[in-house]
Amino acid sequence: MIWEVFRQEKSGDYHKHCGNVHAPDREMALLFAEVQHGRRKPTNSLWVTPQKEIGEVDTEDTAFGGTTDKSYRWAMTYNFEAAASEVEESESEQASAERERKAQIEGGS
Amino acid sequence: MNVDEVKDRAGPREFSPKDDLPEEYRKAATRMLEFHANSEIMGAFLERPFIRKAPSIERKMAFSAKVQDEIGHGQMLYRAAESLGVKTREEMLDDLANGDGKFLNCFHYPMESYVETPMIAFFVDGAAMRRQATLKSTSWEPYAHAMDKVCFEEGFHVKHGEAILYELMTGSKKEQEMTQEAFDEWWPRIIQFFGPTNEKSTHHGFASEVGLKQMSNDDLRTAFLNAYIPKAEKYGLEIPEEPRISKNDDGTYEVVEEDLDWDEFFTIAKNDYEPGVGQINGRKAAQDAVEWVRESLDSHENRLYGSSQPQAAD
Amino acid sequence: MAAVEELSEPDDLTADEREAVQHQLFRLADDEFVVAERYTEWQVKAPTLESDLAFSNIAQDELGHARLWYDLLQDWGAEESELIWERDPSEWRHSTLAELPFDEGDWADPVLRSYLYDVAEDIQLRALQDSSYPRIRDRVGKILGEEDYHREHAANWLERLCEEEESRARVQDALDRLFPHALTLFAPTDEAVEERIDELGIRSEPLVTMREEWLDEVIPFLESLGLSVDDAELPEQYDVHHSQLELPEHTGRDQSHTDAWFDLHDDFTHTYQELGRTSAERIMKDPDDE
Repeated sequence: MIWEVFRQEKSGDYHKHCGNVHAPDREMALLFAEVQHGRRKPTNSLWVTPQKEIGEVDTEDTAFGGTTDKSYRWAMTYNFEAAASEVEESESEQASAERERKAQIEGGS
Repeated sequence: MNVDEVKDRAGPREFSPKDDLPEEYRKAATRMLEFHANSEIMGAFLERPFIRKAPSIERKMAFSAKVQDEIGHGQMLYRAAESLGVKTREEMLDDLANGDGKFLNCFHYPMESYVETPMIAFFVDGAAMRRQATLKSTSWEPYAHAMDKVCFEEGFHVKHGEAILYELMTGSKKEQEMTQEAFDEWWPRIIQFFGPTNEKSTHHGFASEVGLKQMSNDDLRTAFLNAYIPKAEKYGLEIPEEPRISKNDDGTYEVVEEDLDWDEFFTIAKNDYEPGVGQINGRKAAQDAVEWVRESLDSHENRLYGSSQPQAAD
Repeated sequence: MAAVEELSEPDDLTADEREAVQHQLFRLADDEFVVAERYTEWQVKAPTLESDLAFSNIAQDELGHARLWYDLLQDWGAEESELIWERDPSEWRHSTLAELPFDEGDWADPVLRSYLYDVAEDIQLRALQDSSYPRIRDRVGKILGEEDYHREHAANWLERLCEEEESRARVQDALDRLFPHALTLFAPTDEAVEERIDELGIRSEPLVTMREEWLDEVIPFLESLGLSVDDAELPEQYDVHHSQLELPEHTGRDQSHTDAWFDLHDDFTHTYQELGRTSAERIMKDPDDE
């Protein structure tokens, strides 16, 4: 059975997918994952989950974020100087996310 | 872990569902998260009529997107709360419906006219965002993770609110006057968003000591006033004479407490304020009316996976 | 359909051509706008937080589509204010399926309404992919790109709600109520103008053909869920065991509407009226500049 492995580098980080292992059950999957995926990269925690339980939808199946203009959802559409630093930070995160999303769509088509 | 160990270790994103945390911490974190999540839902409930009442198609889309985001924030926050193992989402939503769940003072007031929307969408959201930004460093990791996404999205909300304010304050004389009236009415409530000054509540002390809360309400209020008073003035709003606010040399603000209606504030805090009760009951009716759908989904889930696991135990 | 001649730029159309294009656009724009009004009514009232998010998204998609179609209607000088906010409610051309109110908590309604509507929308959009009017043709692709999710979402909900007798009965009630109005999706605005739309190649399928295609798709699906379409009144052109063609009293397309529409219209124009607005604020870039 195949188990997908997610590694968290340090406390407070997100668990990110890093690979998978063959193992007969959850305990063995953890033992194998610990060595295969946690022995060199900095690791604070690992999760394993059966591959067959993972569902997927990808850009072949759908257009994430839609195909028509949804700029009303983005801070940069509203052309005002940010009221506070946290608003500015949010806006710049949104600007780069939307840039990447668009680049991905253009790259994919 | 006992409470002293928690206090020792407390730091940004320090504790996660796999830690053995004392009940006191779990309850304090649940209380904060539940309040926060409830506020998202009730804020969305207050704003939803303006999806329909927005006066342009693009404004309507923005309102719909904003209300959608708030529900999404509620979703993340209830999950972060559930992961403490104290209450399930269903219990929290039921408590909100039956009047036991607490939420922000501002969302207890009725909102009748479109000119009131920036009071929530710009000022209250701006105040909330200030607080949320500090919570990215809260000690409960799932809370901090939820804040990453909430803060990412929230910039749109504040700027959308600002755009409406700008539009109204550069609109007809009538619009400007109506907006000023709305501001006069909402301003004291917005100041009260941060609670009484020099708050010494036991909840606050403990929540700070275990790293759940990152900044005192007084500091948050000062940061908010510093950023948003100039904005209000820029758009031609006059700051009401009361509550009297004065700026100290060190940049902090003094708010004259007795200028604010604390009886009303504490009535609201008990969910006893009449318009707020109307909001709570309105949402309850909507929630009850779709109970049959949740039951139908539950039995579908049970047929597929067997009877459901207790969801709070992560 | 035989190859048709490409229509000219908006300004160069003959009066007859322009009228035909406008009828087609009002069908599309009004449907999307009004159905979205009913969808957004579910925001913060859906059964779960996740379903609330998903359905809000569909509503926003439809509003975005309405925006694109109204924008094309602005080619002849009318502004959004005239097309939406100041247009008399008795001039709107949406199907009555879009405008019908629903009871609080009747989640079977939006799920079924969306299913009936989105299957029809898909068929109608595909019939516009080769439109002789380039401005329509150019926008169809983007809009179609968002329709698969809508249909999948609706069909999945229907399948689950129809698993058990009690919730299936609620879907059946919604079906009995909505189906006759769904037929108005394919009703003509005006017989002569609709014929002209076909002759000019603005769309590649006449209404009657699209309706059959729609019936061929939705009836077997609904029946496979244990629902009965017999209880709804069906057109006699649909030549199986179903009985009588009975369009509802108001079809919407011909500008006749149910009372609920006028209340809805009052509601969504409330702020515009209250503030004495004369124009509609734009936030986004012009669709031609995207």
